[in-house]
Amino acid sequence: MLNSFNTNVFINCPIDEEYKPLLRALLFTIYRCGYIPRIATERSDSGESRLEKIKELILNSQHSIHDLSRIKCQERDEYYRLNMSFEIGLDFGCRFFHCKDKKALILEEEKYSIQKALSDLIGGDPKCHYGDPKKLVIEVRSWFIEIGTEDIDGGSKIWDDFNVFYADLYKKKLGEGFKKKEFENLPIPEFNRHIKEWIESDD
Amino acid sequence: MAGKRVHIIKRDNGWAVKKQGAQKASKIYETKEVAKERANPLRKKGYDLVIHKRDGSIEEWKKASK
Repeated sequence: MLNSFNTNVFINCPIDEEYKPLLRALLFTIYRCGYIPRIATERSDSGESRLEKIKELILNSQHSIHDLSRIKCQERDEYYRLNMSFEIGLDFGCRFFHCKDKKALILEEEKYSIQKALSDLIGGDPKCHYGDPKKLVIEVRSWFIEIGTEDIDGGSKIWDDFNVFYADLYKKKLGEGFKKKEFENLPIPEFNRHIKEWIESDD
Repeated sequence: MAGKRVHIIKRDNGWAVKKQGAQKASKIYETKEVAKERANPLRKKGYDLVIHKRDGSIEEWKKASK
């Protein structure tokens, strides 16, 4: 019997509107592969520092997925966001000095971008999703297989299931009186709860 | 219990028309417009037509016309 450390997957990714479609597909895929996503936005307590929360998530997750898609500024004078690079450093530090039995997946949006911007990670075999949620599903599913997870459906099946889940949730929420905009902005804990319920009801 | 639905879903090589619960897509079309056109008659057979965006979210939900 696996404990939650073995099934927890720490997610280090951009938290913005543009990334939201990828994050939704990522959360669904992790649950669908039998794991539990852990992300800083899974709970909100103004009394808890973000860094403490991230430390706790890293310590309690054997697995981690780091999406370094925002490694390049899009516009002149835009600040390069360092959170993702900082958090992968914390996670790798934990792996090197505290818990060697950790496994990580690094994702990038543009092929070889990590090689150019963060050469310390050369050899880390990053996988590229090209900003496409379906490709992300395929890559993440393949990684779970590569680390030894068995009995996972194919990536295309998981992608189709994600589409069906999304339609079911859309109908349910609009039926409950949610506006489309509210539905599109469901908080992560609520979205996660519905994924879990949907998968359990499908079993 | 969900009613009968047919989904239009993004695939690498086009847009799939897939009935909910089916193992495989009925067919994959090069463009979304053609997929919508070909799936539309199923509405008369009692199927809702659920058209997805590239990211899996909902672009349009057309009720069965029967």
